[in-house]
Amino acid sequence: MKRSTGSKAPLGQATTGANRSRGTEVPEPDRPVQHKFFGDSLARVSVRLVLVAAVAAFGILFMWTLIANGRYPLAVLVFLVTAGVCVSFTVERLYPFRWFSPGLALMAIMLLYPTAYTMYVAFTNYGDGHLLTRVQVIDQLERQTYRPEDGRQFTWTAFRSERGEFVLWLQSDAGSFLAEPGEPFIPADRLPNWVGPLDTDGIPTEIRGYTRLNRTEVLRFLTQISALEFGELPETVRVQSLDLVEERRQRFVFDPANDTMTDQRDGTVYRPVTGTFTAEDGTTLRPGFWVTIGPRNFQRLFTSPALSGPFIRVFVWTFVFAFFSVLLTFTVGLFFALVFDHPKLPAKRLIRSLLLVPYALPAFISVNIWRGMFSRHFGLISTTLEAIFGWSPLWLANPVWARVGILITQTWLGFPYMMLICTGALQSLPNDIFEAATIDGAGALRKFWNLTLPLLMVAVGPLLIASFAFNFNNFTVIDIYAEGGPPMAGTTTPAGHTDILITYIFRLAFAGGRGADFGYASAITMVIFLILAIITALQFRYTRVWEEISENV
Amino acid sequence: MRRFYVVLLLVAVAVAPVLAGGQRQAQPRAAFDIDANTTLVIWADEQRAPILEDLGAQFTARYGVPVTVQQMGFGDIRDNIKVAGPAGEGADIIIGAHDWLGELVASGIVAPIEIGNRVNDFTDSSIAAFTYDGELFGVPYAVENVAFFFNPDLVPTVPRDWAEVRTVSDRLRAAGQARYGFIRQEGDPYHFFPIQTAFGGYVFAENPDGTYNPNDVGIDNAGSIQSARWLQEMVTSGKIPGGLDWDTYHNLFETGQAAMIITGPWALDRLNASGVNYEIAPIPGGGRPFLGVQGFMVSAFSDNVPLATAFLTEFVATADTMFTLYERGGRPPALLAALDRVQDPALVAFGDAGRDGLPMPAIPEMSAVWSAWGDAVTLIMQEQATGEAAFTNAASQIRSTIAGN
Repeated sequence: MKRSTGSKAPLGQATTGANRSRGTEVPEPDRPVQHKFFGDSLARVSVRLVLVAAVAAFGILFMWTLIANGRYPLAVLVFLVTAGVCVSFTVERLYPFRWFSPGLALMAIMLLYPTAYTMYVAFTNYGDGHLLTRVQVIDQLERQTYRPEDGRQFTWTAFRSERGEFVLWLQSDAGSFLAEPGEPFIPADRLPNWVGPLDTDGIPTEIRGYTRLNRTEVLRFLTQISALEFGELPETVRVQSLDLVEERRQRFVFDPANDTMTDQRDGTVYRPVTGTFTAEDGTTLRPGFWVTIGPRNFQRLFTSPALSGPFIRVFVWTFVFAFFSVLLTFTVGLFFALVFDHPKLPAKRLIRSLLLVPYALPAFISVNIWRGMFSRHFGLISTTLEAIFGWSPLWLANPVWARVGILITQTWLGFPYMMLICTGALQSLPNDIFEAATIDGAGALRKFWNLTLPLLMVAVGPLLIASFAFNFNNFTVIDIYAEGGPPMAGTTTPAGHTDILITYIFRLAFAGGRGADFGYASAITMVIFLILAIITALQFRYTRVWEEISENV
Repeated sequence: MRRFYVVLLLVAVAVAPVLAGGQRQAQPRAAFDIDANTTLVIWADEQRAPILEDLGAQFTARYGVPVTVQQMGFGDIRDNIKVAGPAGEGADIIIGAHDWLGELVASGIVAPIEIGNRVNDFTDSSIAAFTYDGELFGVPYAVENVAFFFNPDLVPTVPRDWAEVRTVSDRLRAAGQARYGFIRQEGDPYHFFPIQTAFGGYVFAENPDGTYNPNDVGIDNAGSIQSARWLQEMVTSGKIPGGLDWDTYHNLFETGQAAMIITGPWALDRLNASGVNYEIAPIPGGGRPFLGVQGFMVSAFSDNVPLATAFLTEFVATADTMFTLYERGGRPPALLAALDRVQDPALVAFGDAGRDGLPMPAIPEMSAVWSAWGDAVTLIMQEQATGEAAFTNAASQIRSTIAGN
């Protein structure tokens, strides 16, 4: 094979000028570099500088927003990435980095950071009930109020001054009062002279300097009014709704020194336990907040009934599904690729384009169509089989046939991809060895098994592994086809005969409106990732066998 | 020259914060000048958004408070408010279903609201549905539930109970009047629930105050098992064919090949279009369907909770608005004054069928129920398990899931 030539040539010995222009090598450190700048035209330098400045500006803007939102780790990463890109485009010595610095930057932001973040989240309780930060939860709890037992309730009428001050006229069975912020209530029988006589509803006809707001006008100022405390401490009231003002006290007070939350109503002390304020007797306050909880998510996964129940059956089917998906799509794809390799096939381009259609259609459409065709009463496949043989398998309800149906669907979805890569790989096979084989008297089959296939495997082997890994987690196809069904009978946890690992755990942990448990989900993702990583590593080792074969060819 | 680059970088560093300056002032809650930046943001689905936009315009004209209506998919509202709310970017008011309360309240996303005596203006069950831990978290606008549909050409009188549904089905089939009597979709516990309750089954027992007790699972009580046996007999005797999906069983009813089904108001359009003769009745045997209640909730991160609540009580909870929402959505209104004005006999019938309905449990434990329960119904209908075995096993799956979490 040709690829081993050239790349092993000794570095740094060739003339620097030639290398510089190709941009493949680092200039020697002691060589003066300044003149290279003058070598570039002024226009090119300035365009580059403008672009670098733009990148820097964008990065800083991005960072600023992140800092404002409290996302410090991501802000640090954005700083490093932006600095890296800018430096590599300005420092001449880092010239080679220029061309892959955008790639590195994107990899860091889009791949490494999310992976690291997922790992971090796997060790937290982030999810429903624990969505907020500690600060937000303390803030929310401290804003809660309660009505003390002797707390008074009134209906109210607001009066507003030109300057935007408010007074309330409060009415209840216990009497009427004038209330101003920060002043004691004034009872109706001791009103000052600037308050006019009461009308038939018992409301002052006039308060000097103030205009009365009717129920519709008051809406305009409702947010302002409800932010105010009327009356003098400790006897203050606050607007609760359009109909009601109430005496309210702050319910929870946080003590930062002891890290406790105290309920003012009955004196109960709550301490944070894994992100939830919990009292001695186990009562808890909601909402909870987001904290790290160590390996608890992993413990939960490994001790959950999910792993003791039908897990093994699901695990085996996951392998079977992924393996046969790859095998069948590859076989069919390779078959078509070989057919199209034949030079005399008519209308080659048209047919090949049509064969790519399954690949171009979104899976969630085509799987639904297949599901419809397999449907028992009106499905095209079922009714056709029924018409011909008088019998059709229960493609969606029978455990075995449901699996067969999924593999058929999966093959249809996946073969165009395999056809594409095989077509490409076939064209790069060297002709001379085939000629040699023909001269040696090998037949077509023999050539296929001993030459084409092993050589092809070198090129497509890694892609087959990738395809295996993809199908190992092929949620879409399994979920749309029958949501993992038909169900298994008598299992300790709900599971279906076509469930693969990811759909099984998804249904168990998240489906049915369970909401989001991001911490647990991340832990599961990491475990599945680990399983896949091991499988993939083993497979790559296995494919080296193919490479050795190819080197012997 | 290199120094030139460094200088340029420094300039860029110096300029960028200026460019980003607007960002710095956008501190939530910092300003107290509420008058200037009070706005109400509403998230609504595509059916409700235009109505709310009209209302918002009226509200703005009268009170000078700008109202912005942002349209998004009904289900997306729940996911988005959980992210945007805590970040300070969410809506003040959202539209949603009552069974979201479990997760939204537990996460501190929605605020309790105070509407005083106005609670008496709504149906009891709709207020009960939006009450969580004794506090009201929403203003309901619509109630939906399933009902019993039958074809009066084939079934002259409504069956009294499910035993009669069975005999009527047998009779119709024997006489060759229809291919099927009562049919239903494979699986689908939601539509099975009213049959289960007609036999005395339940999912979670009700506490005296109307809340659900997650520690009392009734999927395997005597009534539930009886309903499962009934279903098993219907399937093994061929009265209910296997493998029906939602579309197919409606289709069989629309073409007169089946005489009785259970479905909801969402099927009215297609049934009317098919021209089939149908009538709607409460579930035979006193079966109680699940009630799904839709309503308006107020974000806990809103700076204007009293204003948002007032917008809902003064502007939205009026007979006119609620009636318009009903006309758009085709679900019986939750406001009594609007419900009284509903003339459509189909929706009146749905209201009757839902009179004794049970609000779909909003407690988080409900999520443990759906898949186990659904699998049990499917196993019976696929004749993979007996009714008793399927429901007993489902109940133990549910109990272990609830205990495990």
